[in-house]
Amino acid sequence: MNTSEMNIQQLKQKIASQVRHPFLAKFIPEPIIDEDKLVILSSIMDHTTLSPVKREQYVITTMLVQIALDTHDLVTLTDEDDEKETIRTRQLTVLAGDYYSGLYYYLLSKLDDIPMIRTLAGAIKEINELKMELYYKDVDSFQEFLASLKKIESLLIQRVATYVQKTTINDMAGEWLLAKRLIDEKTSYQEGKFSPVIDLLVRKPGSLETSTQVMLSLEQMLQKHITRLEATVSQLPIHFKWLKSYIHMAIHDKFYEKPIVEEG
Amino acid sequence: MKLAMIYSFLKQDLAKIEDAVNETIQSENPVLREASGQLLHAGGKRIRPVFVLLAGKFGDYNLERMKAVAVSLELIHTASLVHDDVIDEAELRRGQPTIKSKWDNRIAMYTGDYIFARSLENLSTLDNPRAHQILAKTMVELCLGEIDQIQDKYTVEQNFRNYLRRIKRKTAILIAASCRLGAIAANATKETELALYRYGYFVGMSYQIIDDVLDFTASEKDLGKPAGSDLLHGNITLPVLFSMEDKEFKQQLVDMFKSEEELTSADIEPLLEKIQSNGSIERSLEVSDQYLSKAYQSLSELPNLRAKQTLKGIAKYIGKRRA
Repeated sequence: MNTSEMNIQQLKQKIASQVRHPFLAKFIPEPIIDEDKLVILSSIMDHTTLSPVKREQYVITTMLVQIALDTHDLVTLTDEDDEKETIRTRQLTVLAGDYYSGLYYYLLSKLDDIPMIRTLAGAIKEINELKMELYYKDVDSFQEFLASLKKIESLLIQRVATYVQKTTINDMAGEWLLAKRLIDEKTSYQEGKFSPVIDLLVRKPGSLETSTQVMLSLEQMLQKHITRLEATVSQLPIHFKWLKSYIHMAIHDKFYEKPIVEEG
Repeated sequence: MKLAMIYSFLKQDLAKIEDAVNETIQSENPVLREASGQLLHAGGKRIRPVFVLLAGKFGDYNLERMKAVAVSLELIHTASLVHDDVIDEAELRRGQPTIKSKWDNRIAMYTGDYIFARSLENLSTLDNPRAHQILAKTMVELCLGEIDQIQDKYTVEQNFRNYLRRIKRKTAILIAASCRLGAIAANATKETELALYRYGYFVGMSYQIIDDVLDFTASEKDLGKPAGSDLLHGNITLPVLFSMEDKEFKQQLVDMFKSEEELTSADIEPLLEKIQSNGSIERSLEVSDQYLSKAYQSLSELPNLRAKQTLKGIAKYIGKRRA
């Protein structure tokens, strides 16, 4: 398995076929497979001595865990006026997340890979602890908030990287995934959609009192993070060539909002 | 006789499991710690750990190994209840406010996922790939069972096979897995393991059928919800399936389900009366008895140990359960 555009698309298809369930598909949106996380994971696995089957299964099962966690984040709060459709969507979102978690466990159990089961379970535990902290704790500072968010976004991948002893891109992964999350939240908010991050910052003001202030801080933070990310990416060893070019493209697409033309 | 009396000789080991369950969910996060403990401290029969321990008695019973399995199964069950309360919008469980009602749905999701993860971490101390394969398959089936239940709601065109598959996935397989994993953890023979698995499966089927019957026959006080709640929420259980053999009944049900959102307890009252008097309760109990007979038969393949008598006692208790 060598990470390439084609390989990523094949992995995406395999993950999609794992999570496909005809009844769920009728009532809840198809789970989003985070391509950036997929690329990072796949690049990590490229440099291991694991068998191709194991590499692929590690990527698929880690992504299933990510999808399960993301799906449970979509479970809405109960409202007295909820309509039947809303309730059913919520019910199925809960079950879909549980189902995807079960699938990760099932696939790894078939590989007899108990240490990897433990690694991913440990990451799920830590991520939920972090989410709980973020949800319940007043934001003391924007920096602290961002640090927690960064951990939530990158911990799963970093734990897997540590498990396969390939931690070279851990720092870069943290920076990239945080920046990406902030960009996504910013876009959502600007489009008038719900942004849990901005909502949390506005709801729990601390030093941040208005959404305008939040947006301004967010923008400044993003600039800083992108600069730091670009520096981290440039320091990656030469064998991460494909990953480096992928991230450069992604930064331009997402942050500068102007696609760059591929060289050559 | 109370159920706990039947397995009283396991009291000490069960107390150790209880401690281990509590220890396993001690998160550093105070809200998570409180939320996780909320449901476990509210009690519960701990029937899955009981089955694990009893099954283990048919092999090389080692409490540490039994504990790994028993704690994990109890935690998986607990995690699923936390999420079920979000699905069912339940306010109370075991007489205590549910996590989703004391905090909110998001906290319930985090808590359920946290408990699930702790369960797997705990079981990973048991170096037995087959145990993981069985549990993993069981968990996937459990989810599919719950999805089936939502899919089949308010659907009158379903048959016995639908119903049996649903209750198998919903209840029987986790009990069956508890028995089987107990046997595996104790390195019991394959024959013993399968006999215990079958016992658990049949007892689980019987248990759920009786649960479904009790929804029509028990008092509101015993049930903690009005009689006929399953039907009111569109769940077609065995007494309803038998009742639908009467075309008039079936038509009434079809008409009622047309306005499912406005359905009240008063609306279903005429159907409840029919179910209670048309023989479908008795026929359902007969099916439950057939499963129990099969459970006894599975036990007959096992050596005569005290655990065997206890398993028999539990099956008998389940069969007689009327509240």
